[in-house]
Amino acid sequence: MFSGIKTLFSYRELLFSLTKKELKVKYRGSALGFFWSLLNPILTMLVYSFVFSIVLRAGIEQFAIFLICALLPFNFLSNSVNYGAGSIIGNSNLVNKIYFPREILPLSIVLANLINFFFEIAALFIVIGIMGYKFYIYLYLLPVVIFFQFFLVVGMTLLVSALNVFFRDLQHLITIVMMVWFFGTPIIYPLSMVPPEYQFFIKLNPMTVYSAYYRNIFYYVKYPEGAGFPSLVETLITLGITFIIFFVGYFVFKKLEYRFAEEI
Amino acid sequence: MKEKNLSYREKRMKGSDNDTAVEVKSVSKRYRIYHEKVPSLKQTILTLRRTTYEEFSALRDISFSVKHGETCGIIGPNGSGKSTLLKLMARIIRPTSGKIIINGPLSALLELGAGFHPDLTGRENIYINAAILGMRKKDVDRKLDDIIEFSELERFIDTPVKNYSSGMYMRLGFSVAVNVNPDILLIDEVLAVGDQSFQSKCYKVIYDFMKNGKTIIIVSHDLDTISDLCSKVIFLKDGEIIDMGKPLDMVSKYRAYVEELEKKRIIQQQRAERKKIFKTVIDSNRKVVDGEEISRLSNLSIDGETISRFGSGDAEIVSMGLFEKSGRKIDYCRYGDEVKLTYNVLFKNKVEEPVFGIRITDYRGNIIYGTNTRLKKIGTGTFNKGDETAVIFSFKINLVGGEYSVSPAVGYNDNKTYCDWVNDMFTINVIHRNIAEGLADLDPEISIER
Repeated sequence: MFSGIKTLFSYRELLFSLTKKELKVKYRGSALGFFWSLLNPILTMLVYSFVFSIVLRAGIEQFAIFLICALLPFNFLSNSVNYGAGSIIGNSNLVNKIYFPREILPLSIVLANLINFFFEIAALFIVIGIMGYKFYIYLYLLPVVIFFQFFLVVGMTLLVSALNVFFRDLQHLITIVMMVWFFGTPIIYPLSMVPPEYQFFIKLNPMTVYSAYYRNIFYYVKYPEGAGFPSLVETLITLGITFIIFFVGYFVFKKLEYRFAEEI
Repeated sequence: MKEKNLSYREKRMKGSDNDTAVEVKSVSKRYRIYHEKVPSLKQTILTLRRTTYEEFSALRDISFSVKHGETCGIIGPNGSGKSTLLKLMARIIRPTSGKIIINGPLSALLELGAGFHPDLTGRENIYINAAILGMRKKDVDRKLDDIIEFSELERFIDTPVKNYSSGMYMRLGFSVAVNVNPDILLIDEVLAVGDQSFQSKCYKVIYDFMKNGKTIIIVSHDLDTISDLCSKVIFLKDGEIIDMGKPLDMVSKYRAYVEELEKKRIIQQQRAERKKIFKTVIDSNRKVVDGEEISRLSNLSIDGETISRFGSGDAEIVSMGLFEKSGRKIDYCRYGDEVKLTYNVLFKNKVEEPVFGIRITDYRGNIIYGTNTRLKKIGTGTFNKGDETAVIFSFKINLVGGEYSVSPAVGYNDNKTYCDWVNDMFTINVIHRNIAEGLADLDPEISIER
């Protein structure tokens, strides 16, 4: 694994330039460019806010903010996994013709989405700052949370991109799985709404804990027990699951990588 | 980069063990060919294993090494495993067994402009492509002007590459690739880029690479290029090394192989055509053979798919031979020899004024020469049942080296129907003495005037 990291480091410029390409290509030729990436979460936020505060009247204070704090990190995961799934297959011309560490392809997708995520958070700061949230009090926690979530995202993306080479219908499955994951994470609802007998399962989902942290930092502005969750044990379990996913993803990828060129 | 070069050259001069740039040790590569394209997840879960597959052996027990500074060519027919071998050396795929040792930075030009994104400009693609090929950004910054100048695309460098012609695309790809400056360069059939002037530029770059002591391994079908550039050539066929050695030897070996193949193909084709003609003859029982009408047919003997003999059977050609002027029977002859080509005919019925003839063809089926007694205006008289006769054609062998087939025939004097026609009954072997080439000996007198 260390030699893998060393090789990866020597190819860092390729990683950065592919990340840059990813971002450039995404917004090339559109007038609003980067702002389109903000439009998507804003529209989602508006729709859900309408449904939950006006139609269903869930009674959650400032539902828009409540939602967006958890929606943005989840989008980072789901966009990375959805786009990353095709990263090896979609670059068959490269994989077939040139040697470089293959993990650069999914990693560049994750990095591009991470940068997107940063910009979205910056936009969020402006909005909640104007609305008077003291988001800066626990801001020092944010890099830590993002850091650990990053490993989860990388692990999932590596796993999916490698398996997709061998099982092409995974691509379709992923969209469904990500939808289930979305509703299985307290994003449009608070954890307290979940019946106690199901809470255990919801808490095993690492995104539940990460979302709670984002929400504690931005929405509740309380730490450590914004909404009485997560506890230290729950956090540690999440970190454990995160690293299991990361290592499984990494080793599956490494194991399959030598057969990529033959399969696509 | 430069320092590394130096160190390799120094090592080379010292004659240390790092003399070898690329070492391939008994490498085999087997591919799996799945009977169904890509198995779906459903299938895998249901059957708990992959769909059935066959193993295809692309390379078998390949061993060779290339020294630093050598230019090594790989030639062979399609499907011989050349590209697989390059991909193995480029680390794109892994050998099934065996080992490949690479000493020094390696760059593979298996495809030009790999990874160009159509929506990005030429300039942006230079950076990405260079990074993919393992070049540092600061090196690209330094060499950017060279790359653009070499590609001759100054005017279009800020245009998205989707608007490029395929030639421009390849030129940009090549310009980036040659500026990567590796120690070991693998090239796959990419020299055919752009117009004549750009091509000569490319060759110059490759010669410069060679002069700078770089190691080059090149796969090409262009044998002239190979024998021009390389110091060593590997001849690959069906996944095995047939031979390796000096370029000219290998190239002529490969040419001989290709010619042999071509010969076989032509013979096959010839056979098929003859079969078609004779089939028409059989079908209608009275049709055309090589443009000549036949009304009486019997005694059709079929050799494989070729009809080798036909005619009424009123006369039968029993034997044929080649003789020296003195009468001694010979197996072969030389250019310029005086020979007698003789065949014996046994008459089964009375035939008046039969026509005796021969036709000489080369291996491609080209008719080299044909004549008969009627064309030569020689009267033959009447033959009765039981008569035997020898027909003798005396001539000088004005044929260049090779094998020639002789078809003798006895025809009726209507010049349309035959008593007996035997295809390719006899072979004349002419020993090659580099007298001439081609079909006809025009025997020119050559003078040089100043």
